[in-house]
Amino acid sequence: MKLFTAFKLACFGLWSNRYRVLSAMTGVVIGMFAVIVLTAIAIGVKDTLMKQMGSLGAEQILVMPGRVLDTANGQKDILSGLTSVPSTLTYEDALALKDVPNVKTVTPQLETVNFVNYGDKTIQSAIVGTTDQYSRVQHAKLAEGRFFTKEEQFAEAKVVVVGNNIHDSLLGKNGVPEPEVNGSADVEETKTWWKRILDKLLGDNVSAQENSLVGQMITINKESFEVIGVLAPNATLGSSTDNNVVMPIETALVTTEMKNLTKMIVETSSLEVVDEVDGAVFNSLAANHSEIDFSVVKQDQMLGALGKVTSILQVMLVGITVTALFISGTGIMNVMVMSVRERTREIGIRKALGATTFEIMMQFFFETLLLCIIGGAIGIGLGYAIIEVWNSNIEIFALVLPMWAVKLALYTSVAIGSLVGIYPALKAASMKPSKALRFE
Amino acid sequence: MIELKDVRKHYRSGNLKSEVLRGVNLQVKKGEYVAIMGKSGSGKSTMLNLLGTLDVLDAGEYKLAGKSVHKMRRGKRVRLRNEEIGFVFQHFQLIPNLSVFQNVLLPLTYGRKRLGKKKGRVLTLLDEMGLLDKRNQKPDRLSGGEKQRVAIARALVNEPGLILADEPTGSLDEETTESILSVFDRVHEQGATIVVITHDLEVAERADRILRLHNGVLV
Repeated sequence: MKLFTAFKLACFGLWSNRYRVLSAMTGVVIGMFAVIVLTAIAIGVKDTLMKQMGSLGAEQILVMPGRVLDTANGQKDILSGLTSVPSTLTYEDALALKDVPNVKTVTPQLETVNFVNYGDKTIQSAIVGTTDQYSRVQHAKLAEGRFFTKEEQFAEAKVVVVGNNIHDSLLGKNGVPEPEVNGSADVEETKTWWKRILDKLLGDNVSAQENSLVGQMITINKESFEVIGVLAPNATLGSSTDNNVVMPIETALVTTEMKNLTKMIVETSSLEVVDEVDGAVFNSLAANHSEIDFSVVKQDQMLGALGKVTSILQVMLVGITVTALFISGTGIMNVMVMSVRERTREIGIRKALGATTFEIMMQFFFETLLLCIIGGAIGIGLGYAIIEVWNSNIEIFALVLPMWAVKLALYTSVAIGSLVGIYPALKAASMKPSKALRFE
Repeated sequence: MIELKDVRKHYRSGNLKSEVLRGVNLQVKKGEYVAIMGKSGSGKSTMLNLLGTLDVLDAGEYKLAGKSVHKMRRGKRVRLRNEEIGFVFQHFQLIPNLSVFQNVLLPLTYGRKRLGKKKGRVLTLLDEMGLLDKRNQKPDRLSGGEKQRVAIARALVNEPGLILADEPTGSLDEETTESILSVFDRVHEQGATIVVITHDLEVAERADRILRLHNGVLV
């Protein structure tokens, strides 16, 4: 008998014992599903972090509050420096950095939280005071309107650019009620569900005033601001601009009465001078501070820190994968050993009718192998479906499933099948037909 | 067809050695119908296992169709079993999740001959056994007599030189027993060599020759 016949018999064996096979397969399905989804999460998180942290250009230097300590190998331990510490960075520090040689721009950012009113709506928002360079440096695109100019910045103009969520919330466009802190009941809330659906369907009949805030006045801290632009949606993990209200830093210093900056982004004139500017920025700030209570970080240091995060994620992933595979592999081996025992008489009959030891061994080996491959494929399919559903409906961060992960999962299924299939196959093959035929 | 010379077989259970066959001599000619009788524990099943190459003898010689089985390696023994021997067991020994057709086809699956033309032989045999309309049914839907006829068809499908039957009517009622024995008569008339192991005299009397196994020796 050829191997192909053993393979056909294995397929038939699986089909004949399909209910038991299904229960055995569950372990592999769950294992592979977990591996696929966790890989997608790990890579999705890594990519998102890389995108955000890597958004700091190679020619840019980040200045942030708190002191980042050097690790034993001389690298900056940025992760430990990312803890929340009171900022002592000031706008004066930022202005002083402009005089450092080879500094092209300095983009300070002052962040606080305040209430924003529009009509009868009041919502809580992050207020960001910055310069006209913000949209360029932060890669923040505009959905409509414009960003404020340098002239408006220095004139302390009462103008703001709002994030996408803030814009929609103030207009009552969001399906999910926004954090209402005071004021009258939401008009939308009082509408019946069918009226709300009708409003959405007839969206083009709604007045321009209800569709856009650009040109409208909103109130922050009892002061009126003109909305001049809306930021495009930018839903990313942790630091989205969707919930920000961005205004000139000069205006923010007056309106929020805050003095300290959250961070500064220093742009150098060229890539070659980054190291030189890095030192000069540090010295300039140190001269204005009584102690080193700030950190100056370059892109490569930031990416180094990211590497540490992804290494942790990878180790976690390997751990989960090994555990999942061990559990599913052990489960399958147990089920197959039980199957061999239950089918002892069948093995005896097959041997009595001329099946060789090798043929019996290959039949059971193929059964285990196929079971693992089919289970693995189902697990991968389910995982892929969940990833698709997530990516279609959830915007926190995108799950990323690379082809290598799918291949790895499939190869792993084959490897598990091959490994755990050996013992039951040998057990079946080693049975004496005369004894197996008498098995009760 | 069969030649046994001073065949011995023993089993061990811990330190105890139990000698089951103590120098069995037997000659069965081609086309002969032989019954081996004996009490329970007389070594009938051991005899069947040795004749069917399901077990190996400890000492002596065994020739089947002119081939020295006792000198054969396992692979050759398995091939000989597939090509030269057809089994009929007391408890039918059909694989429950295979259909009647698939059960009968099984020896051909493990044989070296191409399956294509042989499938026709399965259908012919099932027709002869009156089971053609039940070829797609599973064994658990069949009566005892039908199951045994499937087993006989399976034993014949490879056109073996020897049919070995172990208490072929042991699980059947009187009426069905007669119909199964008639099948054996018919198979014998067609030229098959049959060795039936039984403790039922009525079954043994259908054979050309009756041998008795007593204390591990044929008398």
